[in-house]
Amino acid sequence: MTVTARPARTRAAARRRPGRARHEGVAGYVFLSPWLLGLFGVTAIPALYSLYLSFTDYDLLTAPNWVGLANYQRMFTTDPHYWHAVTVTAVFAVVSVPLKLAAALGVALLLNRERRGTGVFRALFYLPSLLGGSVALAIVWQAMFGRFGTFNSLLSLFGVHGRAWVNDPDFALGTLILLAVWQFGAPMVIFLAGLKQVPVELYEAAAVDGAGPLHRFWNVTLPMISPVLFFNLVLETISGFQGFTSAFVVSNGTGGPTDSTLMYTLYLYMKGFTDFQMGYASAMAWVFLAVLAAFTAVLFGTGRFWVHYSGGE
Amino acid sequence: MTTAAPGHRRTVTTVRLVLLIAVLVVVLYPLLWMTGTALKSPTEILNNLAVWPRHVTWSNVTRGWTGMPDVTFGRFFLNSTVVALAVVLANVCAGLVSAYAFARLRFPLRRLWFAVMIGTLLLPQHVLIVPQFVLFRYLGWVDTPLPLIVPKLLGTDAFFVFLMVQFIRGIPRELDEAAIIDGCGPYGVFRHVILPLARPALITTAIFSFIWTWNDFFSQLVYLNDVTRYTVPIGLRTFLDSSGQSQIGPMFAMSVLSLLPVFLFFLAFQRMLVEGINTAGLKG
Amino acid sequence: MGITRSAISRRSLLAAGAAGAAALAAPALAGCGSPSSADGPVELRVFWWGDDTRATLTDKVLDLYTKRHPRVTFKKQWQGYDGYYDKLATNVAGSSAPDLFQIDEDGLSDFASRHATLDLTSMTGSRINVAKFAGSIGKTGTVEGRRVAIPAAENTAALIWDRTVADKYGAGDLKVGMSWDDFVAWAAKITHASGGTVYGTADPSGYFQVLEIWLRQRGKDTYRGSKLGFTADDLTEWWQFWVDAHGKGATPPADLTHVTNSGDISKDLISTGKGATALEWSNQLAAQAGLTKHTLGITTYPGDTGAAWARASMFWAVFRGTPHAQQCADVIDFLVNDADAGKILGTERGLAVNTAVRAAVKPTLDAAGKQTLDFETRMAGSFGDPPQTPPKGHTELRKTVLITEAENVMYGRKKPAQAAKDFIDQATSILAG
Repeated sequence: MTVTARPARTRAAARRRPGRARHEGVAGYVFLSPWLLGLFGVTAIPALYSLYLSFTDYDLLTAPNWVGLANYQRMFTTDPHYWHAVTVTAVFAVVSVPLKLAAALGVALLLNRERRGTGVFRALFYLPSLLGGSVALAIVWQAMFGRFGTFNSLLSLFGVHGRAWVNDPDFALGTLILLAVWQFGAPMVIFLAGLKQVPVELYEAAAVDGAGPLHRFWNVTLPMISPVLFFNLVLETISGFQGFTSAFVVSNGTGGPTDSTLMYTLYLYMKGFTDFQMGYASAMAWVFLAVLAAFTAVLFGTGRFWVHYSGGE
Repeated sequence: MTTAAPGHRRTVTTVRLVLLIAVLVVVLYPLLWMTGTALKSPTEILNNLAVWPRHVTWSNVTRGWTGMPDVTFGRFFLNSTVVALAVVLANVCAGLVSAYAFARLRFPLRRLWFAVMIGTLLLPQHVLIVPQFVLFRYLGWVDTPLPLIVPKLLGTDAFFVFLMVQFIRGIPRELDEAAIIDGCGPYGVFRHVILPLARPALITTAIFSFIWTWNDFFSQLVYLNDVTRYTVPIGLRTFLDSSGQSQIGPMFAMSVLSLLPVFLFFLAFQRMLVEGINTAGLKG
Repeated sequence: MGITRSAISRRSLLAAGAAGAAALAAPALAGCGSPSSADGPVELRVFWWGDDTRATLTDKVLDLYTKRHPRVTFKKQWQGYDGYYDKLATNVAGSSAPDLFQIDEDGLSDFASRHATLDLTSMTGSRINVAKFAGSIGKTGTVEGRRVAIPAAENTAALIWDRTVADKYGAGDLKVGMSWDDFVAWAAKITHASGGTVYGTADPSGYFQVLEIWLRQRGKDTYRGSKLGFTADDLTEWWQFWVDAHGKGATPPADLTHVTNSGDISKDLISTGKGATALEWSNQLAAQAGLTKHTLGITTYPGDTGAAWARASMFWAVFRGTPHAQQCADVIDFLVNDADAGKILGTERGLAVNTAVRAAVKPTLDAAGKQTLDFETRMAGSFGDPPQTPPKGHTELRKTVLITEAENVMYGRKKPAQAAKDFIDQATSILAG
């Protein structure tokens, strides 16, 4: 993703004179100054303050006291809900991200061949992504996947006796995964954009070589859209791990039933605001940041092996 | 597929269309149900499980619109529009300026700042709320839309900076060089090369900014106190909390109505959105 | 705060943070920053949760106050209960909390024991008259020996039941003083007679207020000081009772009870038409009546009625950092003791706490209001003493731990004894702080 036209850059660098470099350095900071102001004013200092808070017993209402590593210790040793939340989040991310991307890619492939009405289709498929964290969503999901929901009425047509999916500890997380997959419109739009860029000649050449549809998909489409796939994978993984809104809305902010939808960020939020343990919540946030950063770094690392940039180096 | 016989091709096209419509029905069903419910009378909501009402009633819309004392949803829509448009403008300006620096200019510590920028994408926002609140209160900005807008003007929405960095990297460097030969400095290159060519990325940013701000709930809840300053998501939540499930019809009516602006926004600009994504450095 | 402050004190932005926290300790710095003057105009920020009806009534009553005291005006803020305490806590942390705010028993311990609320002890009696408060309700609203909040209205535990359903299935009326077994038998009868379309009662094993009454009937308490007032054995017995009740058909499958565990009356079984009872508070009768077309009855929780008490449905508290403490106290006094104010407020928050106001309000009440008042007047004779204000950590126990463990039993994931042990372990560690 970070590949640029490197030869051009070297040429430009060679031509650059020392005076211009200094000039450019100053300009760089001029252009970056709003962002730097924002970083230090709005993000970094509050973030560092939260790092400090993670070593305290801050409860929002009274001044924080230094407690050293106690929060981190508690997280890894004595808090049973913590590891539960980690598991729930991992399951959610690992199941929902591939499914969502598969749905997005599948529909994008179907849509890519359509000549008329693409715009309308695209917009309609995108609609669920717009609903986001709307409160209406909780009611809709209860109405679809509750004991007396539409889904069970549908099942009963086939003689299957349904369950209370959204309120069943064994299936509640499943309905949240479904909710995430349902919102496949956003990555789909991006896939579609990528697919439009694949040169038709490549398909024609493959067809001349006698390649079947599967073969063409595997050897032409997939490599050609690998940068888009990578972009989607990174974004969806981050948002998958950060998944908060749907769990918050559907479980009414509790992570229930019986902690079955207790996502990491939801638990963090409950600790910070409901239980007045902002120090602990801050510690959770920093561990989260570290793990997510490592995960992202690994993704970028593996990307080297399977992401093909047509511009090439 | 180009080698297939015409008859075979027609079958494939039909199958594809049928498949697409089938998926579409499944995807849209919850939304249709929601819209249908918004148009049902209270007794029909309880008794009629069908998607569409037997008798369409518009009373939910009017009841929802005026469902709160002293203030109508019109006010919330106005507030949301003002905030969303301001954020669009802020993200577009800040994103482009910072992205230009990251993508094109060489200056000390550039790689470090870039890594920090990516890092800010990963931190859960909830722990920043309290320190940020203290800051904005000190500035006297609580209960104004400023805490929702000014940070964006300072490029705190790292996603958009990242998006535009990727885009600018895709603009051929030869254009910069041509401008430099014509006597342009970094500022001239920005104005004459990057700014005009970045339009698709700017539009992508504008659309996503608008949609995300329109849907944002948490920061708006924290910073807006006065009911007359409420935006649509907070208005909706307060309306639901204050009226319970007896008001499902009006609540859904307002939810559907609140989706309309973003949907129309998307419909109007989606062609440019696709163009923007295409060129955002994704094809290398 | 001290550490951050010395570490980065030269950074102006951090100074902002430090100033915010410092203001907590020094009330004079907080609020809008202008010192309170005796005669100048004063604007008080008032914050409450509730619905639009409450907003309209509170608006009206505060306007009446301004009419009588033109130099005191109000900046009114209200929202739903969801997110109310999050927002209040954030505002306290940023020392921009409203001058006067509504608070309930759940929030009281958390906010007052952390000194976010003003100590009203010295003003109670002088500026805020509590002489005419009904029964023992005047004793509520204290934390660690300090009076930190004034009860805004009174309610008591009440079992609201669906008379239409009970009549239809011939289960008879629920009576004051019935035993817990009677109640379960009544509920089971409804479930069986309706063929499982309507359940007798939700499973209240995760409802803190029902557990509290049950414990008090056995001479125990939910809390003693900052410790639990009951043991794992009590809890095991409590949960086993409801497991057996479920076996008899009294309660629905766990998922239906789960939905009611949010405590939102629009989701209880009467409102959704799936059950015949709601174990609620007396002042919720009117709201409950608005959520169903059926006729409703109101009675006490099963067992000894002496376990119930006159409870503050909610309180008024003053932010510790307000520069207008005196004016806030005067407004509270007006809200709870003025007859005209009482007539505007009616029974929406609960019965007026001042008996004279209650008498003045009575003729103006609607049917549900009168039913509530009659019920509570009838019960007042047997009321016991109020329990202590719950300690710090109560919210977490009530809203998270109790419900989660009760649901573990309901969904059959844990035996009552195991869940009880897990509850006690977590509760002990939470209450230890």
